[in-house]
Amino acid sequence: MIVLLAVLGAAAWIGFEGSQDEADELFDARLATSARVLAALIATQPRPPAGPPLVVSFPAPLEAAAHDEAGPFGHHYETKIAFQALDSQGRVLMRSASAPQTPYAPLTPGFSMQRDWRVFTLRSGELWVQAAERDEVRDELSVKLAWAAVAPLIAGIPLLLLLIGLLVRYGLAPLAELARRIERRQPGSLAPIALARSTAEIEPVLAALNGLLERVQSAIARERRFTADAAHELRTPLAALKVHAQNAARAATEAERRASLERMMAGLERSIRLVEQMLALSRAAARAPAADPVSLRQVVEDALDDVLPALKERGVKMSVVSEPAMAELVVSGDRDKLTCLARNLLDNAARYAPPGSNVQVGLAERAGAKTLTVTDQGPGIPPELRERVFESYYRIPGSAGEGSGLGLAIVRAIAAQHSATVQLGEGDRGRGTRISVSFPAAPAA
Amino acid sequence: MRLLLVEDDELLGAGIEDTLTRARYTVDWVRSGPHALAALEHGGFDAVVLDLGLPGLDGLEVLRRARAAGCATPVLILSARDAVAQRVAGLDAGADDYLVKPFDVEELLARVRVLQRRVRGGAHNVLQHGDLRLDAAALSVTHEGRPVVLQRREFMLLQKLLAAPGQVLTRAQLEESLYGWDGSVESNALDVHVHNLRKKLYPGVIRTVRGVGYVADPAA
Repeated sequence: MIVLLAVLGAAAWIGFEGSQDEADELFDARLATSARVLAALIATQPRPPAGPPLVVSFPAPLEAAAHDEAGPFGHHYETKIAFQALDSQGRVLMRSASAPQTPYAPLTPGFSMQRDWRVFTLRSGELWVQAAERDEVRDELSVKLAWAAVAPLIAGIPLLLLLIGLLVRYGLAPLAELARRIERRQPGSLAPIALARSTAEIEPVLAALNGLLERVQSAIARERRFTADAAHELRTPLAALKVHAQNAARAATEAERRASLERMMAGLERSIRLVEQMLALSRAAARAPAADPVSLRQVVEDALDDVLPALKERGVKMSVVSEPAMAELVVSGDRDKLTCLARNLLDNAARYAPPGSNVQVGLAERAGAKTLTVTDQGPGIPPELRERVFESYYRIPGSAGEGSGLGLAIVRAIAAQHSATVQLGEGDRGRGTRISVSFPAAPAA
Repeated sequence: MRLLLVEDDELLGAGIEDTLTRARYTVDWVRSGPHALAALEHGGFDAVVLDLGLPGLDGLEVLRRARAAGCATPVLILSARDAVAQRVAGLDAGADDYLVKPFDVEELLARVRVLQRRVRGGAHNVLQHGDLRLDAAALSVTHEGRPVVLQRREFMLLQKLLAAPGQVLTRAQLEESLYGWDGSVESNALDVHVHNLRKKLYPGVIRTVRGVGYVADPAA
């Protein structure tokens, strides 16, 4: 506001000065015109005989002494012009009544200031004409004119300021409303913010804010769902543990007690695995992976070490075939997460492949895209369930083993973070399951 | 007493089976909805312990269909679904009782005994037969106030016969009640148990009905 006021003030000042200068110019021009008209008029007159100068009286309104009040024959901006006609020796031949008997100024053509007078000196042959005007009258008039020019501007300043203030307030009203709504919000509320009136300026802010709220909301919803699902999924294994523990406590014989304790241990292993898988899924969904160079071959070898006991126990063989042979197949990502992905794939195969069967792990690179494939000779997954098996905690009804129902959900979550696609299909000759994870070719650096 | 256990979770099922078997019940365990329905149609169970989240056919649906087909066997639902509405739905579908997982095995056994009593129309767990007294909760038998030690199957056989005094039970009924679907039963196993009971208690406790089976005559 203060800046605005200063700018407007400066504009008014410049306008005032400018108007005054222009008025001065105008007066000078008029003075010059008057002098020329006089010179022309005097030239047409017969030369007066030498003697006392001829004194011309102007009508009252034009008298230099007259007041600047509008008379019946003039305008109140008329000024008091006096003149002298002189010969080249500076003798006054003719003068207006208001003019002095001696020359106003030295006989030099042009404008000059002589005491209180503004004088224009014109030479016309032998004749010199000097037209003069009282400076203070000019000043008064020019100030009046300048004020007339600047007055509307000055009067307009408060109005303008008021108008600007109102416009700014109107324009910023959505922002103020937004601030109010955020302030009054319940801490738990993540509903999008809607404004009664929005503007083009605030729209991107609002969109960004609502986008953030939506992301936070879906993150919280995911966490809640995870907790609810986890509680539900833990209930059955815990119920089993409790039964076995109580059976052991109530056992009538040592053999009964031992049997119950062994089953309890199995239940504990399963619960531990379930919790580990839950954490793996939670982690997979939570953080973006590191972007380190990771060898898929190394990842598969690490995962193979982890599932070796399960393979031995179930009598399942696993062979790794890479193409090109022994290729490292380096992808960009998080080694721990990718190992977790591979472990889940191999573990699934180890669990569901029939005893004595062979599981093939394939590593291949084509056109820069790297693919990890696991093919088993297990029961296979019916086409209508190939999407559902990726859901958390979903297990195919009646499926064998003690899976957590999280393995493929983890695989998908980790793959998604690495921009990799997961495909589920049939193995060779339509038997078993083939699951492949394809990492896209790295973008050219 | 022969129970049908319907539970798809291997580990929990094994635990419940242990609990019930050790409490001297004969347990037949099935792991899916369709199998449960087939077992109920076949009949011969004194009570059913039924899980709800089953593969193939939900437990509630199994129950509804079995009830619609006229099956009157008492059913105890055992489920992780703990909301009031879910418990009400289970009871309305025809269950006699509802127990939420995780549960105490003591409570499970007590509730199974309630189911047994309901079948008999009695209000307590003790079968009194003259000087003979069988306590299903304490798993104890006394004769003339003196405790008698019985083997598991002997206890079960006595309980089965005393629960229906005067009613002749066929060999097949008794064998199925004692052994469930376990096919490896010696042909004279039942006779051995009867013999032992007569020896441990008194000879007249069980009467042989030739060519049919056995009966516990109502006490004088």
